[in-house]
Amino acid sequence: MNQIVDRSRDIGEFVPQPDDDMLVCRCEEVTKGEIRKAVHDGMWTITEIRRYLRTGMGLCQGQTCARLVKGIVARELGISPAQLEPATARSPMRPIEMKVLGKEEVSDTWQ
Amino acid sequence: MKRYEVIIVGAGPSGLSAAIEAAKRGIKTIVFDENEKPGGQLFKQIHKFFGSKKHHAKIRGFKIGEELLKEADEAGVEVVLNATVIGLYADKEVVVRRGDEVSHYKGDTVIVATGAAENMVTFPGWTLPGVIGAGAAQTMMNLHGIKPGKKILMLGSGNVGLVVSFQLLQAGCEVAALVDAAPKIGGYGVHASKVARTGVPFYLSHTITKAHGEDHVTGVTISKVDEHFSPIEGTEKYFDVDTICMAVGLSPMSQLLKMSGCQMEDNPKKGGQVPITDEYGETSVPGLFAAGDVSGIEEASSAMIEGRMAGVCVAEYLGYCTEEEKEQILAELKEDLESLRQGMFAPANRGKEITETEEGIAVSKNLLQHGFLTEKEVEKYPGVVHKVGVHPVMECTQNIPCNPCQDACPRGCITIGENITYLPIVADGSKCSGCGMCVASCSGQAIFLVDEDCGDGSATVTVPYEFFPIPEEGSKGFGLSRNGEKLCEATVVSVKSVAAYDHTNLLTMRVPKEYAMAARFFKAG
Repeated sequence: MNQIVDRSRDIGEFVPQPDDDMLVCRCEEVTKGEIRKAVHDGMWTITEIRRYLRTGMGLCQGQTCARLVKGIVARELGISPAQLEPATARSPMRPIEMKVLGKEEVSDTWQ
Repeated sequence: MKRYEVIIVGAGPSGLSAAIEAAKRGIKTIVFDENEKPGGQLFKQIHKFFGSKKHHAKIRGFKIGEELLKEADEAGVEVVLNATVIGLYADKEVVVRRGDEVSHYKGDTVIVATGAAENMVTFPGWTLPGVIGAGAAQTMMNLHGIKPGKKILMLGSGNVGLVVSFQLLQAGCEVAALVDAAPKIGGYGVHASKVARTGVPFYLSHTITKAHGEDHVTGVTISKVDEHFSPIEGTEKYFDVDTICMAVGLSPMSQLLKMSGCQMEDNPKKGGQVPITDEYGETSVPGLFAAGDVSGIEEASSAMIEGRMAGVCVAEYLGYCTEEEKEQILAELKEDLESLRQGMFAPANRGKEITETEEGIAVSKNLLQHGFLTEKEVEKYPGVVHKVGVHPVMECTQNIPCNPCQDACPRGCITIGENITYLPIVADGSKCSGCGMCVASCSGQAIFLVDEDCGDGSATVTVPYEFFPIPEEGSKGFGLSRNGEKLCEATVVSVKSVAAYDHTNLLTMRVPKEYAMAARFFKAG
């Protein structure tokens, strides 16, 4: 984790695979091929992949696909998934409407 | 902002256990859970648990859940349901969503017991309706009384996959096959055996290569895999199923801990991202604890002990118990936890190839590959003996920390020995009364009562039976082998069900005596 990624490393060309059109992140409808291509476009960290493709940023917040995306990126880079820093954890942890997030409980006193 | 001495996130087995330890010492304790019911996964567990008496062995999971809730209630624990913790910040500030508003809490200590989420694997068609997690299947069956499907293929042969397959059969679903990419069954052999004897085929070193269907699952293709887990062309098998169930492991839901700023590690042995903690669950942030699956995937029994450990540590941290008291309780809990972490399936043995039992007997390869013991193999184990008259036959062949059979026999026929993981043996000179308590007490349903020769060319075999409809006395059917094949005609002699059996019926069938050591299940004819 937190290892500095040597971006001068040659990971080879993008080679199409038969299951590239398979959905991986179902909330944001991102395919395996798009994730693999993103790595070849230079997105070598999970944070970059998220910002580039929005994987794991939908309704389930990566509950289903975070591990899958990590596996695909790691394989493309030829490293172990454990070497990839996972996405930053931020509040809100669960999907929440802005109107709820902005509405504080009224009986708000120190007890 | 409201202040609590301890805020616990998650009302599952570990969260509730932690809350009990804290609240019973007079600590103002609050537990938040995002679900509408407390108890976490316990209320979905209808099978009897393994372990010793201390670990609630032979008690069904949902009963343990009920006991835990009662204990929490008596201790004065405040459980807030439908309350989603959306943030955990520095200085243990907790933000909770309830209904259409959010509220802020400040904890002097916080215990995160958020559990785990199911893993998924991908294959063409995996997003079709009808592809579900094993947890979803359990929720549908055991909480809502809905069958997840009619014909189901299970992917994953760990304990979750095996236990849920059995529950699907109990619910009246057909399980077409149990598939795992690994070359051997990951869960307990006894769990596999009770599925195998109903006739479910096991396909190890196989994986799903395609789910068929336009708008829902109508079938599935599996293929054999090579040593690199790549499908081998030409080995495809098609199954006509409407549901694919996945039980391919769990990942800790540790995002709140990561957000709080405590040190984390990626530990594949613990299931993924986990906080770095001391042996009692305290993270790198003083006063912030993690307990249960969120700190490393295990099971409910160890989660409850870890919860109690965190609860006691919190009590001492807040000054509600002395250091000596804490040390004493922790030492006891640690001993309990260590006894659960023994045997072939201990966390320390994960990924290791175990070829022999602690007694030096070769582990059955057939059991690991096909889910059942061959007639020849079964004779090697100490629980399998031949005697005149009714006697227990214990087809327990792997070292698991579990011993209810020993306490169940009122005549002392069964002994485990000094180590809880030892295989049970039939004590010398013991006289079995045929009461069946051992059969009903075995969480793995691996004990049978056999009278090998009734004198008239027949034998009787008593098997644990947890299916509906319960066959009637005198009805005819078939004796099935350990892999569910029809062996012989069988007549139901009796079906006993008493309160002490706790819903495990004891079905005694009469079979020709040459099948006394082969017939292990009954199928109505």
